[in-house]
Amino acid sequence: MRFALIGNPSVGKSLIFNQLTGLGVEVSNYPGTTVELQRGNTCFQREMVELVDLPGVYSLEGGSDEEDLVRRFLEQQDTDAVIVVVNVTRLERNLYLLLQVAEYGLPMVVVLNMADEAVKQGIEIDPGPIRDLLGVDVILTAAAQGKNIDRIIPAALAATRPSKVEIPYDHHVEAAVRSLGKMFGVDRKESIRALQGFGDNPELLEAARTIADEIESRHRMTANQIIAANRHNFAHRIADLTLKEEVLLRQTDPDSILTRVIPGIPILLGILVGMLLLVFVVGSFLEGVIVEIFNVFALQPFLALGLPPLAEELGRSILLALQAGLGIAFPYVLLFYIIISVLEDSGYMTRAAFLADNAMHRVGMHGGAVIPLTLAFGCNVPAIMSIRLLHSRRERIIASFLVTMVPCSARTVIIAGIVGSFVGIGAAFSVYGIVFVLLLITGLVLSRVTPGERFGMIMEMVPLRRPDPRLVMKKAWSRLSEFLFIAMPLLLLGSVVLGLLEFFGIMAIFEGMVEPYTMALLGLPGYSATALAFGILRKEMAFETLAILAGTADLGSVLSSLQLYIFAVVTVLFVPCLATITVLLREVGSRITVAITLYTVALGLLIGGLMFRILS
Amino acid sequence: MLSSTFEDYLEAILTITENGRQSATSQEIAAALGTGREIAETTIASLIEEGYLERAGGDAVRLTEKGSSVASVVARKHRVLQCFLTEMLGVDADAASKEACTLEHDISDETLERLSSYMDGAQSPPGCMGRCRGQDACTLLDCKEGDTVRVAMMRGPRRHRRLLDLGIFPGEVVQIRRKLPNQSVVVRVKGCDIAISPEIAASILVESCP
Repeated sequence: MRFALIGNPSVGKSLIFNQLTGLGVEVSNYPGTTVELQRGNTCFQREMVELVDLPGVYSLEGGSDEEDLVRRFLEQQDTDAVIVVVNVTRLERNLYLLLQVAEYGLPMVVVLNMADEAVKQGIEIDPGPIRDLLGVDVILTAAAQGKNIDRIIPAALAATRPSKVEIPYDHHVEAAVRSLGKMFGVDRKESIRALQGFGDNPELLEAARTIADEIESRHRMTANQIIAANRHNFAHRIADLTLKEEVLLRQTDPDSILTRVIPGIPILLGILVGMLLLVFVVGSFLEGVIVEIFNVFALQPFLALGLPPLAEELGRSILLALQAGLGIAFPYVLLFYIIISVLEDSGYMTRAAFLADNAMHRVGMHGGAVIPLTLAFGCNVPAIMSIRLLHSRRERIIASFLVTMVPCSARTVIIAGIVGSFVGIGAAFSVYGIVFVLLLITGLVLSRVTPGERFGMIMEMVPLRRPDPRLVMKKAWSRLSEFLFIAMPLLLLGSVVLGLLEFFGIMAIFEGMVEPYTMALLGLPGYSATALAFGILRKEMAFETLAILAGTADLGSVLSSLQLYIFAVVTVLFVPCLATITVLLREVGSRITVAITLYTVALGLLIGGLMFRILS
Repeated sequence: MLSSTFEDYLEAILTITENGRQSATSQEIAAALGTGREIAETTIASLIEEGYLERAGGDAVRLTEKGSSVASVVARKHRVLQCFLTEMLGVDADAASKEACTLEHDISDETLERLSSYMDGAQSPPGCMGRCRGQDACTLLDCKEGDTVRVAMMRGPRRHRRLLDLGIFPGEVVQIRRKLPNQSVVVRVKGCDIAISPEIAASILVESCP
């Protein structure tokens, strides 16, 4: 038996899914998409029931990836019944999707969730009209309190008949349905979908398009608009019958402070800065602890073993990769994901996106991009993983370029450790200045040249609510494990390759080969190229390696201020670290990853070279 | 079929009486059309005879039901044509108005309808958005915070499917909840708050609620 949960975004669908399935949830990408699909199992009367949590959508007929996925899922009729979760406090809008699902003709159960909130708002609910008009079972639940959740599975098992609902459409649409039915022998659902341009029979689509054009010229409204309006009006009628609103209790509206310029934008900045500080302080503390533990309990004992040189080098590379991976993954990724999940689940994310929308438009993205860009200051890895918040591929490409250029905390270490301590504070800030100017230029250029449709923002401000701590932790953990299992192996591999190159002296040959070029181009000695290469593994390693290769921690005594400055600028711009590259591969694919890598290398060398020419 | 002169007269009278006035004098009509008063009076007399106008006391006349339906059809044709000429073709507004006066009499209803729906679907060139679609047609961007308005029409209806799915379609009443200085808006529709970018808000034409 397999059931699918479907509903608008933030109706408590995930909460219900979690309560029904418990452990053993499998998160997978639907074939050919980046959209996540959760599957889980539950046992009912010794029968195995598989539950699929479809992504939240507003409609089955839109063009977004999520809507496309849900539509394909329903078309394959791959499920024994659909469980439609409805937020009863926003019944009318939710009924619109419910009606579309009902038209698909699959057995279904309706879950009217958030009954507790409805009571708080003084709304009285009568599930009778929906039960009668749609001919399906209706359950009133309050997922936040776990009320009536246990009735869902029995009801779904009992649901065998599809809904009998017939939405009354405009008479022209009805006439079109009749004639398409006569001409092609298709049913009502297929005719309606053909009128909206969906289906796979080209003749049917052609005929439907002609009729739709005819309807449009008569009504001055497109067939899509008419059909949507009919459905909304029907939903309105059902909602009227279902809800009896009593005296509206006055509620405080937090949006009156959150979405105004003042104090909304200061609050937004406060939250972003607070988020960064928290991660900086707590994250770098944890990172220090983890790195130290590794050094003391793994690296040093291993080196003390006195293994043969090749084995030692291999082991050292693996340990270094583990150290880098766990040092970044654990503190930063987990912390960021906890914060992100809280922001998402509380509904604040949509407010932030609204406030930042206009500024982000300038660089070709919508407001949601403010989150990855802020995250990137802490660590690029979770920032890249969070570009999934953006809905078009175009935006994801632009965001991935910009995110990899933002100076993360490791690069801050370089700027502070090299430029700040050996050249001066003013110079350190000027590095930031250079990076920001380049970021802005890159954004402006990319927003013009990146292919793909521009989507403006049409976004529901989801209701603010208290996030559920268990759900937040679960979400954060699932994203963290994704990093551990997908990025870590690649990180290990890269580290071993670098280690072997070093071991067989290829690094030394490489140094000798590049020395004339680095000298001519950047005015830097050959060993700085090795330091840069190690910076790929972990950015702050560029600093450490440079000190080791120079033979002294007092870099000011072996390199001039200009050399140090150029080295820092190049390192900061140069190739994202290996962990970032691995998540880039996963999020935007190999072509874009290569493009980003080449771009950042070229940019680093170009700016470094220019500075060498101008300043020396 | 009325002659184009008659249609011009009816249109002129409609324009004069539009602002809440009951009737128009022959002097005003002559001035509006730029003809002599005698000629105007003769034409008015024959229009009264045909049942398009009726005397409203003294020199003044007003449109009968028959006359006003003809007049509003002509006026609409004028508006659509003028709109097409200025917004789509970029003709100067005054020249477009004169040209529309000539074209409005010969254009068939069918062609006009198609022209009108063509314009709804097409994006007008930048800089002259919605300048001429009647005085009362304004976009979501022209509304103040707290206004309650009815959606009249959506430009480029194929582009923003999500608006339809969220319940923003012609005929729906929406309330402007928030408008930032950068023109991003939040509207409340069906009990939900929807944030909309300025460029999308500009494509939603609204009319004030009765």
